[in-house]
Amino acid sequence: MMKELFPMKQVMGFIFSLVLTAVALMVYFFDMSFAVGMTILLVTAFIQAGLQLVLFMHAGESEDKNAIYITIYYGVLIAIFTILGSLLTMVWTYQIQ
Amino acid sequence: MKIDHSLPLEYSTDENRLKILGFWIFLGAEVMLFATLFASYFILSGGTGDGPSGAEIFEITPVLIETLVLLTSSFTIGLMVHAMRLGRQKAMMGFFIATIVLGAIFLGVEIYEFVHYVHVGAGLQTSAFSAILLTTLGTHGAHVTFGLFWGTCILIQVKKYGLTPRTTNKSFIFSLYWHFLDVVWIFIFSFVYLKGMM
Repeated sequence: MMKELFPMKQVMGFIFSLVLTAVALMVYFFDMSFAVGMTILLVTAFIQAGLQLVLFMHAGESEDKNAIYITIYYGVLIAIFTILGSLLTMVWTYQIQ
Repeated sequence: MKIDHSLPLEYSTDENRLKILGFWIFLGAEVMLFATLFASYFILSGGTGDGPSGAEIFEITPVLIETLVLLTSSFTIGLMVHAMRLGRQKAMMGFFIATIVLGAIFLGVEIYEFVHYVHVGAGLQTSAFSAILLTTLGTHGAHVTFGLFWGTCILIQVKKYGLTPRTTNKSFIFSLYWHFLDVVWIFIFSFVYLKGMM
């Protein structure tokens, strides 16, 4: 059976990820302000990442669910602090004169 | 070795379960590796010096091919895990091979891209921007390259030993690694390329 090899959930997830890519591409094909463009990119990128983690990586299926989610949240939190903190001290500060 | 048959094979022993948890913790560290690269990229991307800027050298076609190829490979590795849980070894190996082939195509396009950058005068030592760009892309590309060898080795083991708690565990962990590389690429696609061409 071919059909059982292509579960609906994963096919829909794949189609959704293609749609998100197409939405992100709008910032390339249409003229828009930096703020609007960045908002679109941030929203599509983080939904894409969440889709991969939950749907494809089965993050919540085992009894280690909590430990796995805490690791991801912790990693992402430190990543965001590192990136925003670096921008704050080394890029944005110089623009506010 | 205590085997719990109510769980998928890759989780069926305590050791297997802990290996999967351990790999997630490793991925947490990988998140930090790429976060520091992204932070450096955002700080240095304006420092183009005498070299070209991102908008001048980025081409949308290879980037789109890379994105679609990697998204598709992430889909096929997901189907690999699904087929593995159904015990369909042939289908599982088919999806596994498809993933590795797509990964090789991605790498081929990325190598073309690197040659293009050097050709238009954005080498590793041209400017702060070109250095951090090639380092960020290169770190991701090196992960994909490693994944191709690692995946091939696991595939050979699946062919040799069939779907056992050991080989399914390795295959599942490989799928986590591959999805993670796709997630990193999505951020590169969005915040290096699209932001640069906006």
